[in-house]
Amino acid sequence: MSKITSSSTAEYFAKNLQQVGFSSPTKAVLTTLKEAVDNALDACEEASITPELLVTVNRVGKGSTKTADLIEIVVEDNGPGIDPDDLAKVFGEYLASSKFGRGQCSRGQQGIGISAATTWAQLTNAAGVRVISKTAKMRKALQAQVDVDIKGNRGLLKHKEMIDWDRDHGTRVEFVIDGRVQLNGDGGIITYLDGTTLVNPHMTLKYKLMDADWVEVKRVSDEVPHIPAATMPHPHTMKLGEFMTHAHLYGKMNLDKFLRKGFSRVSDSSITDFVKNGLPKSLLNSSLAKFKETEFKQVFQVLQATELTNPSTRSVLTVGEEGLSKSIHRLGNIDFFSVVTRRPRICDFKPVVVEVAIARFLNRPSDQEDTTIQLLRFANRVPLQFDKAACAITQAVESVNWRSYGLQQAKNSLPNGPYVFAISVTSPFIKFKNASKETIDASEELVEEIRRALMQAGQKLSRHIKREHKAADLERKLQHIEKFGPILVSGLVNITGASSKRKVAAEEGLKKLLGRDSELAESELAQAEERLQVLKAKQRARLGVEDEEGDANLESEEDLSRSEESGEQLSLDESLAPATTKKRATGKKASTKKTAQAATTTKKAADAGTTTKKAATKKTTAKEAEPRKKK
Amino acid sequence: MKAKIREFSRDIDKESKTLCEKMLGDLEKSRRPVLEATKCSLDNSFYNPRVGFLTPGDKRVRTELNVSSVQKMARTVFMLEILLNNLKTGAVNTKRELYYMAKGSVKSDNFLKPLDFSDQTESDSIIDFICDMLEVYREEMNCYANDRGGQTYSKQLVVTETLSDGSKAVVDLSTLGTTPFQPKNRPQTFRLKAKKKIDFCLVIESEGTANTLVSNGFTHRNNCIVVGAQGVPSNGVRGWVKTIQDQLEIPIYFFGDLDAYTLQNIYRTLKAGSAASLIRNSDFSAPDVRFLGVLPEDVKEYDLDCYDVRESDVTEARALKKARDVLQNDPFFLAPKNKQLCKILDWLLKEKRRCEQQAIFAVNPKDPLMPEKIILEKIKNGSYV
Repeated sequence: MSKITSSSTAEYFAKNLQQVGFSSPTKAVLTTLKEAVDNALDACEEASITPELLVTVNRVGKGSTKTADLIEIVVEDNGPGIDPDDLAKVFGEYLASSKFGRGQCSRGQQGIGISAATTWAQLTNAAGVRVISKTAKMRKALQAQVDVDIKGNRGLLKHKEMIDWDRDHGTRVEFVIDGRVQLNGDGGIITYLDGTTLVNPHMTLKYKLMDADWVEVKRVSDEVPHIPAATMPHPHTMKLGEFMTHAHLYGKMNLDKFLRKGFSRVSDSSITDFVKNGLPKSLLNSSLAKFKETEFKQVFQVLQATELTNPSTRSVLTVGEEGLSKSIHRLGNIDFFSVVTRRPRICDFKPVVVEVAIARFLNRPSDQEDTTIQLLRFANRVPLQFDKAACAITQAVESVNWRSYGLQQAKNSLPNGPYVFAISVTSPFIKFKNASKETIDASEELVEEIRRALMQAGQKLSRHIKREHKAADLERKLQHIEKFGPILVSGLVNITGASSKRKVAAEEGLKKLLGRDSELAESELAQAEERLQVLKAKQRARLGVEDEEGDANLESEEDLSRSEESGEQLSLDESLAPATTKKRATGKKASTKKTAQAATTTKKAADAGTTTKKAATKKTTAKEAEPRKKK
Repeated sequence: MKAKIREFSRDIDKESKTLCEKMLGDLEKSRRPVLEATKCSLDNSFYNPRVGFLTPGDKRVRTELNVSSVQKMARTVFMLEILLNNLKTGAVNTKRELYYMAKGSVKSDNFLKPLDFSDQTESDSIIDFICDMLEVYREEMNCYANDRGGQTYSKQLVVTETLSDGSKAVVDLSTLGTTPFQPKNRPQTFRLKAKKKIDFCLVIESEGTANTLVSNGFTHRNNCIVVGAQGVPSNGVRGWVKTIQDQLEIPIYFFGDLDAYTLQNIYRTLKAGSAASLIRNSDFSAPDVRFLGVLPEDVKEYDLDCYDVRESDVTEARALKKARDVLQNDPFFLAPKNKQLCKILDWLLKEKRRCEQQAIFAVNPKDPLMPEKIILEKIKNGSYV
């Protein structure tokens, strides 16, 4: 019998780097960049710092293998910096994370990614990552090379030295690895940076890729998203084993107290409902310590069978419709767009929020009418760029009948046209299909939830498209009148031999007749235009552009419907809480009254909000007009 | 309902001008001009066995001027102008020629450019609309289809054609050898004469089969006329058979495949006309034609090769579906007089089998005269519908 040996975690990952995103030279570059950027953004947000990132990707020589180049990837942030004692752990040790299983919506979760990038650098270029880090307390920055001790799953610091660095705090990582650079397409670096830009409105990003010029994308929000603290677990998010383990933490506490204290969304009325659904009253006052497994199971089953309020939205982070609306303008000149943030829902026992942004870009060639849309997928604000077909997001997009919203679509396929569909799924516990976090598991519940968000966005989108169709219809009718009317009269005059006076009279008569027809088309167009203006007014308000009075009145109607959807989420929008909350409150009240009254109250609330956010948003509006500034 | 049988005594030029005058007057008064035409479809078709062909009902198609129909009206008036000019000068054109003529005019004139026809079906439908509107034949507007079908063989028939200049051309079919006589699309201008008593006329679905029979000496041994229909009979074939029926007063038999398509599309059109040509059927159908075969009983009698209809085949499935439809909706098949034909359709639907007309060649391959014998035997025994 062969000898059984144990391996370290680092050994396992060193041999299976393809499982965590290093399956090809091209993916290696993207994954390394992704891990470094994710860490930088998470660190900034945790320290409530508005992130400023600098990224460069360059070819610096030949790779160690025939098919690879030697690529240098640098990511620098203005985050809090890393304590010198933690440096080796962060970059050189697997499963060493401050975020593992804590139930928050951070980008990184397991503590694998950046260590895997260090391992890849070490395996392909014989040197790990070079790090410069400085915390606010440090006078000088620490510069070191971190390697992975693969046998021991430890980080090793080499070439340590203290250097002067003109930053108060921050981290700079430099990887030199074997890889190949792909800039465009689904797996391209530009696509990744565009996606990251979209879902991080508060981020300023400067980057230089290969021989291209520097590009700077400025932030459109000054608010650092607050990553909500993990809340008490919701009974419906647990499995039986987890429930029992959780109960053991509360020692001798009785069941009634445990249910109230140990979970969110369990109230007095919930306890009454549990009893109604078969929970013996005697158990409520029993100590948990005396519970047998069968009793735990009985309690658990009752909890699952009882309807409870959805989990607290406080544990879920969203970009928010406002943030998305502003951010999407950073990707290019937009013809029109539509954003939707859904209320948090439970899918597969976990709270999930789905956000959708759909935009049509002006600078995309018109021949894209026949090519599929560009789909940007996000999980906890991290772009997903591989294995598209198996992803819940892709399946949800394909399941919607986009033809009814005016888009072209082959059956069960992505729709066609010069559109970008950005879909973000945020949850403290996203169910990925693999460790490299490239695909979200397509459970029925999640696909349905994404599908609903897409359909809402599609309805908004269709207002633009329908208006275009109506306008085209009117144009066609007007053209018909202009083109065929004179020919008809001329033919009749030729056959009858009528005088030119009669010809003029007939032409006049024809114009009157067909003008009546075009009036009908014009009125249809006006209706479509009116509906579109409602949407546009809302979007302008969200972007911080001051509205004309008429537009602002129209806006109220949309806000009423929005208030039903957006619920009580905590999001980037919180900075604008006075405006949005007030709007919501008035909107809800007004929903039972006449729409006109609602419009007036909402207008007042909107005005109040506009003044408070004017300072922050007015600057950014001017910047949005230009897609990207190049240095 | 009394059948509407067309009697033609109209001045097309005058009627067209009156129509256009009314349209112009309406426009001057800002009223919407309306064009009306007979509805040529099955739901407006009536069949009276005494009349013998499909006649139109009262349904009309109305086209009122609006933004959507202005293009069609402008095209109609434009094409009418060309056709009236042809009538005036005596010029004759095919539909295809008219399509190219119209295309040429609009392409060379910026003013007319919006009228451009993207394909011939567009101009054809305008020509048909004009004919339905004026209730005239296409041929009466000097527009003829390309000659197709109607290849005729006989040793007894003499055709005298009156030409446009009034002179006459006499064609003795017995002098043509194996070359067929092909009637033009205006067979009404023919005068027929039999040098010797003609016993019958045999119209065969396949022109090739007609040719084979003639090559084997069918017309040598029998005093008859053999006509190849070449599939669904064209206006020329329909008018030609009608002329033979009216002028020679001889029995006419049709011989074709035993399948739904032959019965509905070929035989019914030859005998009673079609729903699409309701206003022309009086001159373009031969109600006395009888269905000689192939009959279901022939399959048994002569042990003819036949095979299953594949419902997976789109064409065949469509023919079967149409057979079911016509049994319920086609006034020709609904008439009690045509009960026997319905029985054949029922047999086809039930058995889901078909038999080609050429199966008679395989009855006795050693005897090339076997097909002739079968046909003559069937005529003699009255084995037809």
